[in-house]
Amino acid sequence: MSASIKKESVPKIVALEVLEKNGVNVEKLKESITKGVGAEFTTYYYYTILRMHCTGLEGEGIKEIVEDARIEDRNHFEAMVPRLYELGGNLPRDIRKFADQAGCPDAYLPDNWEDINSILKVLLEAEQCAIRSWGEVCDMTTGKDPRTYDIAQRIMQEEVEHEAWFIELLSKRPSGHFRRRFVGQSPHTGSQGSLIHL
Amino acid sequence: MIVFNINSNDVLVGRRNGKLFSCNNSCPHRGASLSKGDFNGNNIVCYMHGYEYNVFTGKLVHMKSWKKDESWMEQSFEWRKSNDLTLYPVIEKDDIIYLEFGQGN
Repeated sequence: MSASIKKESVPKIVALEVLEKNGVNVEKLKESITKGVGAEFTTYYYYTILRMHCTGLEGEGIKEIVEDARIEDRNHFEAMVPRLYELGGNLPRDIRKFADQAGCPDAYLPDNWEDINSILKVLLEAEQCAIRSWGEVCDMTTGKDPRTYDIAQRIMQEEVEHEAWFIELLSKRPSGHFRRRFVGQSPHTGSQGSLIHL
Repeated sequence: MIVFNINSNDVLVGRRNGKLFSCNNSCPHRGASLSKGDFNGNNIVCYMHGYEYNVFTGKLVHMKSWKKDESWMEQSFEWRKSNDLTLYPVIEKDDIIYLEFGQGN
């Protein structure tokens, strides 16, 4: 159940009218965004557990990388939620419902977490799902809703970087990146106005 | 397969083994575009989570398990559950394809 307001108290919203005229299915877009931010929020939670289990010589080596991804995923939630409300959507009132409708599966800690590769595989799968999820939002909004598209593509850029980190750790392929300037820097979504902590 | 936008809804129309099918392009599980998926027989396989739906009956045929490895935990039923595919009646007559979308459209 979501918080309800009297519809007649909201004046005509030109920013929505423009989207509908551009052919955006606003209801479906709101659903996709809610699923996307749900996945970011649950991922932030599960990455906290995964990070706590990055121990030992190998685990400590990747702990900071997991932390970057964890904080940046939380930043993605922060960056997109204000847009959801602008579009007339809202977060579910019950967090259980929010988690159940998330666009990506829960990134559970594997039983054999002492093997750091098993944690990396969970992290990689979560990032790959996020790329697909925000790719859907980009496809729905490109050329039609520049505001949502701008935020979604920034999130997606960081998710693509996260995927590259975990692929490189698993496969040892050559790497084009170095490290963030500070933990959870979010070089793409960091410029979003709602991220007041950056 | 071709996707048509009708009243802001994406409708997927295609042919499988010579037979026409038409369905909503949105995966009933999490809304991904089914047009990006592949086929397994008469099942369309969603590219996002691997769910399979029969394009002629609309039924969810295969629900992917996340317990791919003994050490992985299965996802909750609430997260895994999905409706069946939304199908639209489609016929071909004189080389023209007719689709029934909504009431009388």
